[in-house]
Amino acid sequence: MNTHTIDTDTPVISADAYDTAAFFTGSEAIAVVTNTTAPDAVPLPSPDASTAELLFAAQEAGRRAVPAPFTETALVARPLLRRAGLPVPDGPLSYAIAPELTIRYAHPAASPVGSAGCLGDDDTLLITGTLHRVPWARAAGAVVVLATAPSGPVLFTLDPDRAALTPGANLAGEPRDDLHLAPLEIPASRVRRIPRELLEEAEHRAALGRAALMAGAAERCVELTVAHTTARVQFGRPLSHFQAVKQEEARLIEEAALVRAAVQAAATPLDTGGPAAHFAVAAAKTQASASAAEIARIAHQLHGAIGITQLNPLHLATTRLWSWRDEDGDETDWALRLARSVTAATLWPALTTKP
Amino acid sequence: MCPSTLSPIAIPDAALPESARRLRTEVRAFLDEERARGTALGRPDSWLAGWDPGFSRRLAERGWVGMALPTEYGGAGRGFLERYVVIEELLAAGAPVSAHWVSDRQAGPSVLQHGTEEQRRFFLPRIAAGQCFFSIGMSEKSSGSDLASVHTRAERTSDGWRLTGTKMWTGGAHVNDYAIVLARTDEAEDKHTGLSQFIVDLRAPGVRIEPIRLMSGEHRFNAFHLDGVDVPDGMLLGRRGDGWKQVTGELAFERSGPERYLSTFPLLVSLLSELEHRSVTAGQLTQVGLLTARLHSVRRLSLGVAAALNAGASPDTQAALVKDLGTRLEGTLVDTVRSILPTRADPHATPGSHAELLAFALLHSPGYTLRGGTNEILRGIITRGLEQR
Ligand SMILES: Cc1cc2nc3c(=O)[nH]c(=O)nc-3n(C[C@H](O)[C@H](O)[C@H](O)COP(=O)(O)OP(=O)(O)OC[C@H]3O[C@@H](n4cnc5c(N)ncnc54)[C@H](O)[C@@H]3O)c2cc1C
Repeated sequence: MNTHTIDTDTPVISADAYDTAAFFTGSEAIAVVTNTTAPDAVPLPSPDASTAELLFAAQEAGRRAVPAPFTETALVARPLLRRAGLPVPDGPLSYAIAPELTIRYAHPAASPVGSAGCLGDDDTLLITGTLHRVPWARAAGAVVVLATAPSGPVLFTLDPDRAALTPGANLAGEPRDDLHLAPLEIPASRVRRIPRELLEEAEHRAALGRAALMAGAAERCVELTVAHTTARVQFGRPLSHFQAVKQEEARLIEEAALVRAAVQAAATPLDTGGPAAHFAVAAAKTQASASAAEIARIAHQLHGAIGITQLNPLHLATTRLWSWRDEDGDETDWALRLARSVTAATLWPALTTKP
Repeated sequence: MCPSTLSPIAIPDAALPESARRLRTEVRAFLDEERARGTALGRPDSWLAGWDPGFSRRLAERGWVGMALPTEYGGAGRGFLERYVVIEELLAAGAPVSAHWVSDRQAGPSVLQHGTEEQRRFFLPRIAAGQCFFSIGMSEKSSGSDLASVHTRAERTSDGWRLTGTKMWTGGAHVNDYAIVLARTDEAEDKHTGLSQFIVDLRAPGVRIEPIRLMSGEHRFNAFHLDGVDVPDGMLLGRRGDGWKQVTGELAFERSGPERYLSTFPLLVSLLSELEHRSVTAGQLTQVGLLTARLHSVRRLSLGVAAALNAGASPDTQAALVKDLGTRLEGTLVDTVRSILPTRADPHATPGSHAELLAFALLHSPGYTLRGGTNEILRGIITRGLEQR
């Protein structure tokens, strides 16, 4: 069987990654792509790639509906582990930002301040609770978890094999698995106390990675729609020759361009951090999520009935857009955060500040 | 830089040069002075309605009119990206820029590119000094979207041309100095050939300006009658018969600038100050956030086109795309502001109050998606641009 997935250490993304059947066969399907000779394969960024390069690759992964945790690994988990000073495992990774977990120190007695262990120096944790809808958990070698311990924010890595896994999926059939942790001990070597900013950065990375995937899926909608309306003939002319079709198609193209511009504009601020990062990332995810409905609507409308079948690849893009717009914060969530950061006096300066 | 193979509509993300940051600070300081002076500021659609030659001249004294023109012609030689920063600051602040708007945006670049050396030496320094204001004489009663069908004729005389016809919707013709007029010089099979551009003195004999009032009652537009106006040879702009090429070449500049998404921005600022005095719901904030995200995204696209222009490219498809997105946003902003904070729009409320600004923006709103080529026509350009790839 052809596996259509990536190994993040292999220098290409599979170009013909459109067979979703592989998703359902479990973790072994999320294996390594060995066929790297596909004609339109693009190089995977090197480990020291810039954020802009990673975002570009993420758009490509979104465009090709690559069935693997690309952004989860490259844009979120790896940089966070590096920031926290933990080793970066090979292979696919995932993440969970999970304030709802119950966390105790495994050795409260070691603490000078009672059972909460605020000042304990052994950071071995005891975790109880469920991580909901973890992307690609069944395929990930490790899940990077950000949560709140008695001492404040912590980051730790979790081996998904040590949790009970309930498989789930989003509208596009991408794995979104629940991981149940019935008191699970995480050794101190896998735990780091982190500053609050890293928590915020994690949210930003997750949201921007998702927005980049969406930008790619939006491009795919444009490509497929333009190809379709130029090829399909009705009333003796290609669809694209009709004014009404042009009008809709142009709006689709514009909306996709908008998402892409917003994602690109956030690359530099993400590295710089601070309010500029918050503004640019919140704007990017707000725009990507807010545009998804219009992009999917027009692409499907112009495809006619063929577009709602599995015979046509359009669904690979639109079901992802519908899923990803909700994941890592939807447009309502991010729009609210964006608006909270501006006032009449700061709106224009915020719009025009870009490091 | 990332390769741009991914997108059929790849518009690079432009970084503004460091000099732009300093420039922005200077412009903001200038605008603070103007506010203190009481010059009307903070108004929507100020590039159409904010006519104040005094303001234009003070701006010119700073070197901020015709600033992309070369220094040998009195310009500041600073390029389109720096010009971009200046005009976006002016529009965001709702400054009265309409007097010099067309000379700065279109007439200047057009004379520089197509004009004779005499024309450059005569017009460009005056434009850059804020002392020479232009109108655009393109549209006619039966030539709107189908601009190439213009009927205004230019007939050869012994030492020049005689122009006859009526232009419509000519903004500012009653207060400006010159108009660039598109006229037919030669009959041809293909209506796109045989057109030429002329610089017409708006005080010349035979020029008759007849006001057309906007629905707000304002006088901005005119019917511009040319009853046998004699135009000397030296006022042919560019080559005889090249008019269409010249006009369409200007369009990327005309279409993608900050004026295509900032016309109603001051209304959003006004809304935010209103909200500061009230308790605000999450729903209201969410709508503000959605608008902000869209403004930010459109601005990045617009900047990308400006960077491409600055680099000498002609991103016509992308410019059309920005204009459609941007001008639709200008209208959406008005509707959204109205729904975030329901306010009775009142043109007679205190000038500058939210109710008055809302009324003004609303009365102007149908124009945003019409001027400079309608959005329906632009969308045709966008799809054609993509299919030709
Ligand atoms: C505020 C403002 C300022 C202006 N200033 C100037 C100026 O200074 N100088 C100047 O010369 N002109 C000016 N204009 C005129 C402007 O350029 C024209 O209004 C514009 O080109 C549209 O032409 P029209 O109004 O004749 O509409 P029409 O061309 O008659 O169009 C009417 C409607 O039909 C649609 N339509 C027409 N043809 C097609 C088609 N083939 N496919 C799909 N839809 C189509 C249009 O999109 C529009 O919705 C100004 C206009 C406005 C609103």
